[in-house]
Amino acid sequence: MSKFIATSAIRGAHGVVKDAEELLAQTIAEKGENTKIGFPNTAYWLPVIYGLTGHKVETLKDLKWPLEYARSLLPPVPKEKLWLPYLGETLDSGTATLFAEEAIEGLRFIRSEQPEKRNGFVCNGPIDDVQMRSWGIQMVDGRMPGFAAIVGAAKSNEVAVKIVRELQSKGLLVFLSGNVKGRSIIDQLLESGIELGYATFTVPFGTDTISAIYALGYATRAAFSFGGFTPGNARDVLLYNKFRCFAFALALGQVDDLKYATAAGAITYGFPVIADTLIPNVLPVGITRYEHVVSLPFDDIAGKDDLERAERLVQRCIEIRGVKVKVKKINIPVAYGPAFEGEVVRKANLSHEFGGKGGMCFELLQMKDMDEVQDGKIEVVGPDVDTLPLGNHPLAITVSVAGRKMQKDFEPVLERQIHHFVNGAEGIQHMGQRDITWIRFNKDSVAKGFRIKNLGDILHAKLQDDFGAIVDKVQVTLYTEKGKVAELLAKAREIYSERNVRAAGLTDESVDTYYSCTLCQSFAPTHVCVINPERVGLCGAYNWLDCRASFEINPRGPNQPVPKGAQVDTNKGEWDNVNKFVFDNTQMTHKRMTLYSLMDAPMTTCGCCECVMVLIPEANGVMIVSRDDYSMTPCGMTFTSLMGMVGGGQQTPGMMGHGKYYITSKKFIPAEGGLRRVVWMSSNLKEELTEDLKAVCERLGEPDLLDKIADEKVATTVEELMPFLETKGHPALTMPPLL
Amino acid sequence: MPKVEVPLEKWSGKVREVTLGGSGGRKGLTVGGEATLPFLSFEGAMPHPPSVAIEVSDTPASEWAAPLRQAWGDALEDPGAWAKKAAELGADLIVLRLNSAHPEQGNTGPEQAKAAAEKVLAAVNLPVVVLGPEVPEKDNEVLMAVSDLAAGQRIGLGYCMEKNYRTIAASCIANNHVALAKTPIDLNLAKQLNILISDVGLSADSIIMDPTTGALGYGLEYTYSVMERLRLAALVGDKMTAMPMFCTVGEESWRQKESKFAEGVPPTWGQHDRRSLVWEQITALALINAGADIVVLRHPKTVDAVKAAIRKLAG
Repeated sequence: MSKFIATSAIRGAHGVVKDAEELLAQTIAEKGENTKIGFPNTAYWLPVIYGLTGHKVETLKDLKWPLEYARSLLPPVPKEKLWLPYLGETLDSGTATLFAEEAIEGLRFIRSEQPEKRNGFVCNGPIDDVQMRSWGIQMVDGRMPGFAAIVGAAKSNEVAVKIVRELQSKGLLVFLSGNVKGRSIIDQLLESGIELGYATFTVPFGTDTISAIYALGYATRAAFSFGGFTPGNARDVLLYNKFRCFAFALALGQVDDLKYATAAGAITYGFPVIADTLIPNVLPVGITRYEHVVSLPFDDIAGKDDLERAERLVQRCIEIRGVKVKVKKINIPVAYGPAFEGEVVRKANLSHEFGGKGGMCFELLQMKDMDEVQDGKIEVVGPDVDTLPLGNHPLAITVSVAGRKMQKDFEPVLERQIHHFVNGAEGIQHMGQRDITWIRFNKDSVAKGFRIKNLGDILHAKLQDDFGAIVDKVQVTLYTEKGKVAELLAKAREIYSERNVRAAGLTDESVDTYYSCTLCQSFAPTHVCVINPERVGLCGAYNWLDCRASFEINPRGPNQPVPKGAQVDTNKGEWDNVNKFVFDNTQMTHKRMTLYSLMDAPMTTCGCCECVMVLIPEANGVMIVSRDDYSMTPCGMTFTSLMGMVGGGQQTPGMMGHGKYYITSKKFIPAEGGLRRVVWMSSNLKEELTEDLKAVCERLGEPDLLDKIADEKVATTVEELMPFLETKGHPALTMPPLL
Repeated sequence: MPKVEVPLEKWSGKVREVTLGGSGGRKGLTVGGEATLPFLSFEGAMPHPPSVAIEVSDTPASEWAAPLRQAWGDALEDPGAWAKKAAELGADLIVLRLNSAHPEQGNTGPEQAKAAAEKVLAAVNLPVVVLGPEVPEKDNEVLMAVSDLAAGQRIGLGYCMEKNYRTIAASCIANNHVALAKTPIDLNLAKQLNILISDVGLSADSIIMDPTTGALGYGLEYTYSVMERLRLAALVGDKMTAMPMFCTVGEESWRQKESKFAEGVPPTWGQHDRRSLVWEQITALALINAGADIVVLRHPKTVDAVKAAIRKLAG
């Protein structure tokens, strides 16, 4: 906590509490202590006092206690030489300030001084209950992200208008109060002909700082209307606002003691304060979700003019509070949707293509710092398709993302989405990934106006929309000049290779948390996948990083963290917490589940597995049949028949569904001897995984192992299998018995 | 005869009790609370036998089949009169369907919705559930108006669906109503929606779920199986599948050709008025045995038959 801020806030609180006490005494003397007090059109008395203490202020007499309480909260003003952490005292001062301010506004109503009248304009005063509910519902259901409480006056009328327009364009509700040397933002907006009121989501509370209390009165009432709390549960009310109400205060112009004191009150609610003047920052996270106080001196904000500075100021406020703004529609000249994902652009209809045979095209998504990324900026460096001749051209798609919850490990997870995102556009086909990307534009789509730039529009909108939980800002740059693309490609390849190394180094031992996947419980209620770095989900679609990202995006979704806990068995891959998680999440059906064993409590199978592994007792080994292999297998069953035995969430020792790439993992059934146990494998699997399998054989010190594994071309019965294995000298025949 | 020991399951969970009405001058009705599968009284308690709701529409339901229109007669013209007659015929609660709000069936707005709801609320003191046209944005628009109108009377509002659950849930919190959460015949989706609604802050005691119903011959067994699985999950202790279940039996069975048509069907199908009743009754009884806590019916005779069956089953 800054000593300067703490001292100012405490001093401000002392002042306003004293003012409130004097005004109360004066009003009681004039009107008697049984005079009724309250705001119009609300059933919540003085809402901040009621919400935080449960105390109903109905008459002037009832106001004595809140002010006594406010005074009791006031710490002494720090002395010149004293140096302490002041957070607690400052927050107490903030609360005392809010009580005093609300008392003053209540008293002003009795004294006919509220709502404020100024040059013929009547300010709004507090928000009535009906409006509070209407907006409250919109804040709960997400139509309205939150509110901005502006206090003071902007640099100029134009800046005032720009700030409010920017806030409105993000769907934020705008509350207006305060002044700087007698000039208020309310004056500025009225002079500029801006209509203020409920209808335009801009509510003028009043032209002094005290009227900002109405913003907190609104927040308090919203918390007990929609949080279901009973008044008086201060903690619940404050936490509700911190986590559910995306509000912040924006102090425009000089900040005096009373503004600091009121700001301390706002921080208690979890609302950060941003000032456009030079004041100390309070950056550590705590009472607010992110920074507490951020100073952005207006003239120092980068921008070509004041209007651009105003735009950046609002952008920064939104980042600090973590407000999420939804992209409503993808702005491209062709249709967009899942219906277009499978489209093929054939030669006859081809306008332009990038990558593919003899071409050069790649995509790279990288995480950057928040201030390095300008959200929504899309740039094409080089000619676009309107000036490029038909045919194949180089293209580099570079995406920069930034987000408070973004992690470096999520880069490949998001990058892989590009394929799916781009394919959604009508007449645009995307294949491959990384440096084997191949994109084709259909003639019709180009005729409708589709340009390379639109790829950026799609990526920005979809990344924000689908991954908004981890991505706050997305910027896309597309390069079409051969020299530049080649230069960037070389750099991209270095990054891909770093990522490969990182992925290879990601082992089960190097993490302490696995992830679950219960996506398939709709049809297999007793199945749960536990996904570890060295074993993909059995459908092959989810690896450990995907699950981790998915959990960040949707913390209530099907991928939950499973802390491994204590290891029960190293070789079989059994952990106590995994067992517990499996038991709790399989309707208490499976008490144990090992991650590396086929024979002892193997993983259950839903029905989506890429492969099934089955014990062949005669061969003392196992066979693996893939989903794409329709032929008979040596165990006497086809893939389909096997699914009937192994699917549906059952645990069947000796049979197990798994993903293709599990076969190449170092954790491939180590309990049973790994790849050396495999006596038979569908030929399409062997072909698809050749390089990886060869590497595994090398690692095992048996380079010719792959040739010893039979497939459906040499054996579809045990009788055919055995002589093959004997001839080849398959190691399984001499390994310790499986049964 | 040798004594046969009845095998008993030991369930660790039970279905939540949810109360509709019970405040603002409205009669209370509590549903749920089962600690075993339906009617297995030898194994666990079923404190509240399934309830029977009668569906009324804010339109005169001109597209309804003849047996239904004959049974209700003039009452079809006015949702208040209709609800009153339904109460006299033994409904435990009234379900008002705001059909006219559907964009293709009138596209009426919040004022008309309020007017219809006001009539029903004034005509009966039974608990009331109000369902929108199942067009998410439109539902929000009309149900918000009804929610405010009936604040404090603890009515049911539906449907909370994946697209609009936040708005309806928030309004249930604000006005102390019960949300009806609807998902398309899927255990996981049902559970997920219950979690999402709870996340908004609505208490789990204010959620009733509609797992989506199929009529006899039209997916009944699939519905049955999903409901049974939801119930089994609740009984083994999953709190987010433990909401009572609500099934729109009348709506589903009366839109099938077996119930709708008297002519143009094979003679072996038999008499239309009998056939259509059987269709609704069998659908209702099957779903009650799958765990339905509220069945919404259309024909008065079905109401009698289903209530009689429940009495017998509940012993």
